[in-house]
Amino acid sequence: MTGADLQALAPHLVLIGGTLALLLAISFVRSHVLALAVTLATLVATLFALPASNAAGARVIDGFLAIDAYANFFNALFVIAAIASALLGYRYLERRITLAHREEFYVLLLTATLGAMAMASATHFAAFVLGLEVLSISLYAMIAYPEEGQAPLEAALKYLVLSGVASTTQLFGMALAYAATGSMAFEAAFSASSLLAVAGQAMILAGVAFKLSLVPFHMWTPDVYQGAPAPVTGFVATVSKGAVVALLLRYVVETGALGAAPLVLGVVIIAVVSMVVGNLLALLQDNLKRILAYSSIAHIGYLLIAVVLAASISGAPMALETGMVYLAGYFLMTLAAFGVMTVLSSEAGGEDAERLEAYEGLFWQRPLLAATLSAAALSLAGIPLTIGFIAKFYLFAAGAEGELWTLVWALVIGSAIGVYYYLRIIFTMTKTPAAEDEGEAREAAPAAERAGAWEAAAVVVALGAGIVVFGIYPTPIIDIARAAAQAFGG
Amino acid sequence: MELTLFYIAAAVAIAAAALVVTRLNAAHALVWLVVALLAIAVIFFLLGAPFAAALEIVIYAGAIVVLFLFVVMMLNLGRRSITRERLWLEPGMWIGPAILTAILFGEMIFLIASSDTGDAGSPIGPKAVGEALFGQYLLAVELAAMLLLAALVGAYHLGRRYLRDRREEAS
Repeated sequence: MTGADLQALAPHLVLIGGTLALLLAISFVRSHVLALAVTLATLVATLFALPASNAAGARVIDGFLAIDAYANFFNALFVIAAIASALLGYRYLERRITLAHREEFYVLLLTATLGAMAMASATHFAAFVLGLEVLSISLYAMIAYPEEGQAPLEAALKYLVLSGVASTTQLFGMALAYAATGSMAFEAAFSASSLLAVAGQAMILAGVAFKLSLVPFHMWTPDVYQGAPAPVTGFVATVSKGAVVALLLRYVVETGALGAAPLVLGVVIIAVVSMVVGNLLALLQDNLKRILAYSSIAHIGYLLIAVVLAASISGAPMALETGMVYLAGYFLMTLAAFGVMTVLSSEAGGEDAERLEAYEGLFWQRPLLAATLSAAALSLAGIPLTIGFIAKFYLFAAGAEGELWTLVWALVIGSAIGVYYYLRIIFTMTKTPAAEDEGEAREAAPAAERAGAWEAAAVVVALGAGIVVFGIYPTPIIDIARAAAQAFGG
Repeated sequence: MELTLFYIAAAVAIAAAALVVTRLNAAHALVWLVVALLAIAVIFFLLGAPFAAALEIVIYAGAIVVLFLFVVMMLNLGRRSITRERLWLEPGMWIGPAILTAILFGEMIFLIASSDTGDAGSPIGPKAVGEALFGQYLLAVELAAMLLLAALVGAYHLGRRYLRDRREEAS
């Protein structure tokens, strides 16, 4: 390992150092504000270490982690999502956790971010597994973090058991791939004729599809989204999905894992079914968390267009660029939606503000939050002037370039169905509450504490502004993504 | 010859693993788990990795499973557990695991007596393992350290909840 390698690894090292500093700080002083401050300082320092890492040039360290502009683009997304989650989680934990310690949450948040960063760089099966497990283990504990109620524990247990099965399938697939190719590194030549290799790749893809909650591996998603505390749900929906997508795109491009026709067919079927089933099931829900869970199934289904395109050598740069732009948009809009939910949940006691009725009349009571949630919903639906439109436009372009017309048609149909339930969220917010005095009572009660959640509200509004600003002027994101995609592997 | 030995050990591993999952009694399942791990250690030995085989026995069969056994047996202390412990120690329970372990033991004796390296390639000793761990796979070791840290912090937090629930039940 050379000095340049260490420079390339700077973001990871800063993040690990910050995690240890946070642990030390907790063991000396139990202070929630201090834990938040150390966490934010660490994450911001990590963010500033990213340009330094880029300056070291693209390199593969020990054949284990590839640090390049592609990985650092995703690292920036993960760190920004972690900053947003920490700020959103602060007031939530302050209100919800009174008996247990609150500070460990931030340690888990930092280790989860590290796991995601390792996955974005993985070029080796061992890095794949270790990164995934660092992320998943942290998430189990974060999902089960609240002290009261059975729902978080139940969600964490479901996630633990099912994700354990998926990891096992994946490991078995890796063993088969290793038996076929004799190498654990991603650049191993993949021969489509060997049955062992194809079976191995299929098992790995099944494990990945589980983590991405694609149909038919999606059963856990709504329950886990619903049971997890709102700020954690936002983190699960963005960082854990984003890390797997980053890894999957790199894996497909580097190994040519989709070299066999049956595998491509399988991915296409999974994509089409995810788009249609995700959107149809979302129509039936009255719970915002479940709506967003099914909508995320559909969104990752859309994103598989980029994965299929990545399988062809000529399409790889376009596929990577699409994946990066799409995920940047997806992160912004999903975090904004869960952010609004977190702000409302932090103010009310009891359950998270997840029932749609809780949002009735929000436009009259909290215009800024309602506007942000509307921007997020419109963006998820892919309406112009939002980042969601740019992201979806990229998918159309990618589908057209690869001539993947089945997938493009499924994307059109899925989006058309989706508009209904996204607009339903906005419609609910414009309704005046059924009973006039009930609405006033709800408004009057938390008014005293409301002033406190300013930092979470600021994050939410910033995310909402990001959706619109980058929707009108997406050039900065596109430029960075294009440069990273062109430089990939070169 | 080696292939036959491999199939015997593999059959023992699968049979023991199937029994682990189907046993209703946690303590019995753990005993079968020890047998499965021993069988896997024999397979490692056959593949020319005596150090990995030794680690499998020392760490998995030795430390981790015995720790599990202690935890399972120490939970729910009280009069009920004494009768349960008597059930766990029913005579005859040990016969199955003993037979499978004897098969593995016979294999090991045979292997050591014949002492030919066979076509499995050169054996990989502790030094080679150490060099790989702290050379090529240094980053993997660091990542694994963070994995354990996350697991530790998570278990600590969830364990406190469990302890509090129990205290409330007691009072």
